[in-house]
Amino acid sequence: MSDPLTAAAPTASSSEPHVRRARTPAPQSGFAPWKDPAKAPIVRFENVVKRFGDFVAVKDCTLDIYEREFFALLGPSGCGKTTLLRMLAGFEKPTSGRILVAGQDITDLQPYDRPVNMMFQSYALFPHMTVEQNIGFGLKQEGMPKDQIAVRVEEAMTMLELNRFEKRKPHQLSGGQQQRVALARAIAKKPRIVLLDEPLGALDKRLRQQAQFELMYIQETTGTTFIIVTHDQEEAMTVSSRIAVMDHGEFVQVATPGDIYEAPNSRYVANFIGDVNLFEGKVLSQAGGFVEIEWGGGRARFKAAAPAGVSPGQLVWLSLRPEKIRITLDQPADGNNAVEGKVVDIGYLGSISQYNVELSNGEMVKALRANSASTVERPISWEDRVWLEWPADAGVVLTR
Amino acid sequence: MRRWLLISVPYLWLFFFFLVPFFIVFKISLSDTEIAIPPYTPLLDLSEGWAGIKDFFSQLDFENYRIIFSDALYVNAYGSSLRIAFISTLITLAVGFPIAYGMARAPKAWQPMLLMLVILPFWTSFLIRVYAWIGILKQEGLLNHFLMNLGLISAPLHILHTDTAVYIGIVYSYLPFMILPLYASLEKINPALLEAAADLGSPPWKSFWQITFPLSMPGVLAGSFLVFIPAVGEFVIPDLLGGSDTLMIGKTLWTEFFSNRDWPVSSAVAVVLLLVLVVPIVLFQRNQEQQREREAGR
Repeated sequence: MSDPLTAAAPTASSSEPHVRRARTPAPQSGFAPWKDPAKAPIVRFENVVKRFGDFVAVKDCTLDIYEREFFALLGPSGCGKTTLLRMLAGFEKPTSGRILVAGQDITDLQPYDRPVNMMFQSYALFPHMTVEQNIGFGLKQEGMPKDQIAVRVEEAMTMLELNRFEKRKPHQLSGGQQQRVALARAIAKKPRIVLLDEPLGALDKRLRQQAQFELMYIQETTGTTFIIVTHDQEEAMTVSSRIAVMDHGEFVQVATPGDIYEAPNSRYVANFIGDVNLFEGKVLSQAGGFVEIEWGGGRARFKAAAPAGVSPGQLVWLSLRPEKIRITLDQPADGNNAVEGKVVDIGYLGSISQYNVELSNGEMVKALRANSASTVERPISWEDRVWLEWPADAGVVLTR
Repeated sequence: MRRWLLISVPYLWLFFFFLVPFFIVFKISLSDTEIAIPPYTPLLDLSEGWAGIKDFFSQLDFENYRIIFSDALYVNAYGSSLRIAFISTLITLAVGFPIAYGMARAPKAWQPMLLMLVILPFWTSFLIRVYAWIGILKQEGLLNHFLMNLGLISAPLHILHTDTAVYIGIVYSYLPFMILPLYASLEKINPALLEAAADLGSPPWKSFWQITFPLSMPGVLAGSFLVFIPAVGEFVIPDLLGGSDTLMIGKTLWTEFFSNRDWPVSSAVAVVLLLVLVVPIVLFQRNQEQQREREAGR
């Protein structure tokens, strides 16, 4: 395998990109330092506020990030995620609040005095320097002797498989190669924290997936703390140990990718991460850890796990992932939640199909069904009357 | 056909307004002076046919070039011109770089206005602006008046009609030619590069020498050539601001042509000046070419 970014054969039918995942250490299954009250965070944002004139980019953010985490700041453009990262790098000063790295207050330190290195969205490779000189730039600033720089540069280039390109200038490289040089430059100084600002935004989808796994490989082998800023929820889900979903300068939810997906705390998060169906309804009753929700002005009643602090009569939203819904032609037996509708659209996605079903009140619901289902069953077609069915524990009731 | 027409326009222009005049000057430089109109000989007389042409060519020689290279006056004038132009270029670079840097770093909304201010002096005749410096630099001029009123000096400074005045005049007149290419190359530098340098541990002054200055090199070279090349042949500034001992080839050429009415020698002086400048002009063209290639490569 010479070049991991170009070696992937176009014939690869598996959706998993061809990467060196096999060589990486097994992901630490019990890795959850944020749950350990004895652990000190490596990065701490303390009531950080950033204003640009009248515009509040970051509103009172407090956050702990732990050593060896791959932490994602996720949100739409303008949500403050990049500002937060730039404050950590030292390019912006917080209007108020403190930033600590390993317990030391770095709020007033200049960028060149901070123990963090950043990979820039535009890569910001020095156009007049070779790949080697770019990667060695940070080490040169430390005053490291030339022969030691050469060893460290070699090491970084080997890790990112850049060895053939050391004498090239950035404009002689492809986008994927430039991206790897930028990453190599950011890790060459072996900083405790590497910041990544939309690091894969300029790559096409195929390359991006491979680069994501490469980022994880580098992060795991170097044992560095990575903080990534991205607007791509799939990317955040793939690479990170925890995700902070941001909106209008605030954290909406900070949790593991699994928790964010399975238990979003708001409609905003549910909508932002993956596909979701939201049923708006009123709480009818609450009993035994479950609530009954009246949907569509009495058209149907759904049972779902009760969230904390709901009371009858309250307006809530039942969030349901498309893959949690079973789609059938016959009315299911009692017990599960079910609602009837008409198939409007079918999207064939290879191993699965997506069905867009219109309910009696005009709402659209998305449901996924594996195409591996037995062929004896009559296929579901356009205009078919179908039933959508899901168990009470499949959805999450949201109160905001 | 239309393509040929289009391409031929600049070539015809160059042929009639550069190549033909050059050959006329070159031919005169090979001639001898004579008190006549025009003041040189031989003249091509086609009425005598082939014999006339042969006679014409037999009278041409390189005697004037021998004179130029054997007479210390001309050699010194070339040397002095190159020295004055070189020092002026360095001063212009030192003055122009901070200005261009400030412009490139100014808020985007201001930049067109700042550019305007740099170009503004061109709205007044070059000659008038150089004359204005006489009023500033002379014994009882504005500068001496100002400095004496401040009490910084007790006797007026003798600046006008010295080499210093020539340097001031050249730096002042050619500053926009330095600033504009410098600004163009500084303005193109991605600010993220300086952030990246800072992020990797380089304080601002080190980033300047490691990132900003090397990346502005095409502008430094372009600006330097744009100042150096015309400054070598400059006539007006040394004539108006320089002293009797200020030796520049442009002035020598003028004297030879108008005072001595020695067209052949002054033509030879002009041809040699052109040859002297071919080297920097070729270097300048190469710099421009490389810059274009770099940009195409991006």
